[in-house]
Amino acid sequence: MNRILLIEDDTETAEAIVAELGDRGFEVQWAGDGVEGLDRARASSPDAMIVDRMLPKMDGLTVIEALRKDQVRTPVLVLSALGAVDDRVRGLRMGGDDYLTKPFAIIELVARIEALLRRPIDNRETVLHVGPLELDLIERTARRGERELDLLPREFRLLEYMMRRNDQLLTRAMLLEEVWNYKFVPATTNLIDVHMGRLRHKVDGPGDVQLIHNVRGSGFVLRWRP
Amino acid sequence: MQHVRLIRSSTFLWAMAVAATLALFVVGLFAFIYWKLDDYLVARSDRMITTQIHFIAELPPARRVSAIADHLEQDSRGVQYAGLFDAAGNRLAGNIDRAPRELGLDGAVQSVRLDLIGKPSVRDLVVRAIGERLDGGDILVMGRNVDETREISSVVGQALALGLLPAFSLCLLAGAWLSFRAQRRVEEVNQRVQRIVAGELRERLPEGSGDDSFARLAAMVNGMLDEMETMINALAGVGNDIAHDLRTPLTRVRLALERGRTQAATLEELQDITDKAIVGIDQSLAIITALLRLTEIENSRRMAGFGEVALDEILREVCDVYEPIAEDKRIGLGVVIKRNTLVWGDRDLLFEAVANLADNAIKFTPSGGRVELALEAEGDTALVRVSDTGPGISEQEREAVLRRFYRSDTMRNTPGVGLGLSLVAAIVKLHGFRLVIGPAPGGRIEILARIGRTGRAVTRRSRTLVHADAE
Repeated sequence: MNRILLIEDDTETAEAIVAELGDRGFEVQWAGDGVEGLDRARASSPDAMIVDRMLPKMDGLTVIEALRKDQVRTPVLVLSALGAVDDRVRGLRMGGDDYLTKPFAIIELVARIEALLRRPIDNRETVLHVGPLELDLIERTARRGERELDLLPREFRLLEYMMRRNDQLLTRAMLLEEVWNYKFVPATTNLIDVHMGRLRHKVDGPGDVQLIHNVRGSGFVLRWRP
Repeated sequence: MQHVRLIRSSTFLWAMAVAATLALFVVGLFAFIYWKLDDYLVARSDRMITTQIHFIAELPPARRVSAIADHLEQDSRGVQYAGLFDAAGNRLAGNIDRAPRELGLDGAVQSVRLDLIGKPSVRDLVVRAIGERLDGGDILVMGRNVDETREISSVVGQALALGLLPAFSLCLLAGAWLSFRAQRRVEEVNQRVQRIVAGELRERLPEGSGDDSFARLAAMVNGMLDEMETMINALAGVGNDIAHDLRTPLTRVRLALERGRTQAATLEELQDITDKAIVGIDQSLAIITALLRLTEIENSRRMAGFGEVALDEILREVCDVYEPIAEDKRIGLGVVIKRNTLVWGDRDLLFEAVANLADNAIKFTPSGGRVELALEAEGDTALVRVSDTGPGISEQEREAVLRRFYRSDTMRNTPGVGLGLSLVAAIVKLHGFRLVIGPAPGGRIEILARIGRTGRAVTRRSRTLVHADAE
């Protein structure tokens, strides 16, 4: 069971997050301010942390910096009402952690925490497999069973990202940020859906078992359940 | 207090200094005139008596007495003196009692004291005189009163008093008046500024008539106040727009929830209603997010994210992202790179700007049309052009589209938050680039960027320009 430390000063938000993560099988500890949060992080070494940026006593980014100085590599998801045009946030993202702007959908938070916990190990595999799906990163070829998939470069990139995170919920915002490198919400809201629609059309042919699933209101999952 | 302030005011002190200097100059001038005049008069009388003494000395001794008498008779003003004495010093003729001892008889003019007949030392009469010993041993003395110079000096003094004192007083008065006027205006400005500070944004500084520095300063400040008032009003307008744009989705949410609460019979129905409500709330949140994003960019003063940015990559990536969308709408989307260039900027923000332009172009171009992203470079300017075959932006709307939340009436029902172009404008402004909106028909928006690092210094000061035409 994954243990998560939540440092958040707003009680209602905290309770909602604790309840939701609890339902999904996480063990959640909650700290109401920066100092307490830092103490708990040092004492219990959780698997992942959710840290609000603006906290009483010590602000969230300072807590993270203090932990990083102690060589604590725990993945962190930062919550903030502030936007992300900030050097410190840029630095944070470089470090592989994540940033979520308030207000957010709870499913987005869960998806991101799961993504942080199940960060793909840097495997040297050059051929990825999910069920009948096979992606050759060297040859840049994709096939489903015997069928060769003719993918455009962007579709290839998207499929690679999804195969590395198979059976994981990937939200539109995550895909935008990670696959298309978007740092903002595009005006056209169905941007991802259009791209995903094309990829699915190629991956899931007529009569095939569906691999790419649309999770209503949240995002997409690549899953093989024969 | 008022008087002390007046006297200590710099205007008044300057007036005092100027008046004093002026007085000094005038006194100097008058002294010079007096000195020169005096000199001239003395030299003139010296010449006269020398001529006279030579004239009389050259006469035969028998005619000298009568010549002296004639000479004295002709002098009605009584400024001429003459005396003829024998070797023993007895007076033979003239109005001089005795020859002054200090007078050298060498024919040189000098100032001496003369004793006159009948006027025994009325006053200490100092005159110019010349003496000469004649052939027969007689002594001839001629003199002339140069007291006229004193009269001249008194005239000069009077002139000085008449001219200088009024001038000096006038200077002081003018100084006092100017300083009083300046203080009154400062006081007036102060009062109005207090009112502006108190929130009376309509208040302006008195500009007055004329073109003095005060009026110019006031005009400048008033110009600034105009600008600020417009901005503040625009902000207030934005507030209204936000309220309006938020109300629409929130009203839908409220209605859906209300209806769902009473009408939903099954869990599925209730979930359906809740989903609708969430969509509405998400719309409201999207508006707020976009607005915060805009403010964030507009207020961003940091250039930390700046670096060399290859514009062609950005255009290709944007095209890559939007190609399927365009294809779905049966719109051709193409990239034309005439010359690749590097500019100094924030890659993510520039990507966002170009993506927004492309997004807009695709949204407003009818099916079967074409959208083109072009990169050109000329001199030190790079040009990113997003053009389409849509209706374009009409002349009247060109300013308005950059405003927050503006959506042209015909597009009211097109989904979108209406912040796209103002966001682009904010990004362009942050970079010190220029945004040019081309004439309709056909959409055409250009970003003019400075190539290389040179663009860095001019940022922020330069404003986003909206041109009448794109050329």
